[in-house]
Amino acid sequence: MQETKRKYVIPGDIVAEGNLKPLVNVFRNGNSIISTRIGITESSQDGAKVIPLSGVYFPRANDIVIGKILDHSSLSWSIDINSCFLAHLPAQDVFGRDFSPAQDDMGRQLSSGDIIVARIAIFDRTRDPILTIQDNDLGKIPTGELIKISPTRVPRLIGKRGSMIQTIEHATTTRITIGQNGIIVVSGKDKEGVTLAINAIHIVEVEAHTSNLTQRIKQLLNVPESEIESDDTQPSHEVNDTVTNADEFNSTKTDKEGMINSNGSK
Amino acid sequence: MVQSRSLIDEKGIRSDGRVIDELRDVKIEVGVVNNADGSALIEFGKNKIIAAVYGPREVHPKHMALSDRSVVRCRYHMSPFSTDTRKSPAPSRRETEISKVIREALEPALILEDYPRAAIDIFIEVLQADGGSRCAGITAAAVALADAGINMRDMVSACAAGKVDDKIVIDINDTEDKEGGADMPVAYMPNLEKITLLQLDGELNSDEFNKCLEEAIRGCLKVHEIQRSSLMEKYFGNEKGLKE
Repeated sequence: MQETKRKYVIPGDIVAEGNLKPLVNVFRNGNSIISTRIGITESSQDGAKVIPLSGVYFPRANDIVIGKILDHSSLSWSIDINSCFLAHLPAQDVFGRDFSPAQDDMGRQLSSGDIIVARIAIFDRTRDPILTIQDNDLGKIPTGELIKISPTRVPRLIGKRGSMIQTIEHATTTRITIGQNGIIVVSGKDKEGVTLAINAIHIVEVEAHTSNLTQRIKQLLNVPESEIESDDTQPSHEVNDTVTNADEFNSTKTDKEGMINSNGSK
Repeated sequence: MVQSRSLIDEKGIRSDGRVIDELRDVKIEVGVVNNADGSALIEFGKNKIIAAVYGPREVHPKHMALSDRSVVRCRYHMSPFSTDTRKSPAPSRRETEISKVIREALEPALILEDYPRAAIDIFIEVLQADGGSRCAGITAAAVALADAGINMRDMVSACAAGKVDDKIVIDINDTEDKEGGADMPVAYMPNLEKITLLQLDGELNSDEFNKCLEEAIRGCLKVHEIQRSSLMEKYFGNEKGLKE
């Protein structure tokens, strides 16, 4: 892996000097690349970027999100995806191309209040995002506890190759579905397990940038050290994990439970 | 103008004990309003101001939305208990004007094109006022905007300078504002070296103006350091160094 340089920045700080390519959350001003967010810089030969540590969810195409059906028109459902835009799920996506507003009853498939996990099919800022539930593992979520965390903490909650979320799922015998918009559904038969998982998720959210977080979560959930492969024993700066995990999350498909495929490799 | 007493004594000490190029104590706390996307509480001398930022979020009413960029809405408001005599909570002419100039001071720093059809709402609530509240408000709002994770070209730092007893002083307080010769609030983008707000109440000759502007910018740079350390403390704790 090539060498990357990291440092903490606030908006207006110089990320790097010279002829680097500005990637995300940065812009070029003369010979310098300037940060637009609070976060951690990452500059390498490929370019310079900032991993933000704060912010609301802003949709991107191909993100997996969890949303709540608000209403439907004769042709689409409108869905709250925890962002500044309402998302739309076309009825044809659910009923197929021969959908007919006169014959098909949209309320029978999805009604307002339902929670769905969906992928953003199209989004280009000029129009509201269009969702799809056509892929595997997408669609309605029948039961579970809904919780919201900051979208910037999602990569940390997943952990390196899904380590954090797997730890929590195994220890609490729950299924955790994570949307990149910061909405999470925790489901399981054991109510105590669900409560424990929610507590653990909240701790991860608050302490995302602290050292040895996975260890402390394991202690909280009474996981024996040997049971789960420890891949998180770096002395500090675990926020770094978000850097790679964010990329991994984007490129990794979710499995049936909506959690990250543990074989996803970088 | 009638000056009842000298505002700077023979040793160069001002009415509140500062020397002419000294800021009041500034303290910024980030993330004080949980419901907001970003927030900050600033204590600028006796000023106490909360700034809260929401957004980017949906625009209501929808016809206000712009198709190519985000709208910024700013409300500067003084609480009824923020002054000696009760201030009516209804928005006054002064507050409406300050809301507008604060919005215009912050807009150049925001990359609004990144959020078309959305709105960014900035609320600035003055809990206790002591002169220079617009500067303190801008400073707090810039921190709150950064805390909200809105794309910014630079931070905005604000500080006033002015003329008191024919001397150019930095960071005018309430007494100096009312009894002094001139008050010049300046908002500044420290890294891009650009001025986003410049107002002047009073009279200055050209040399005094230049000196005053220079001093105000020096004040802004000091304020920027405090903004930076408050944000760094919130997000990175005590780890401030580079890491590889």
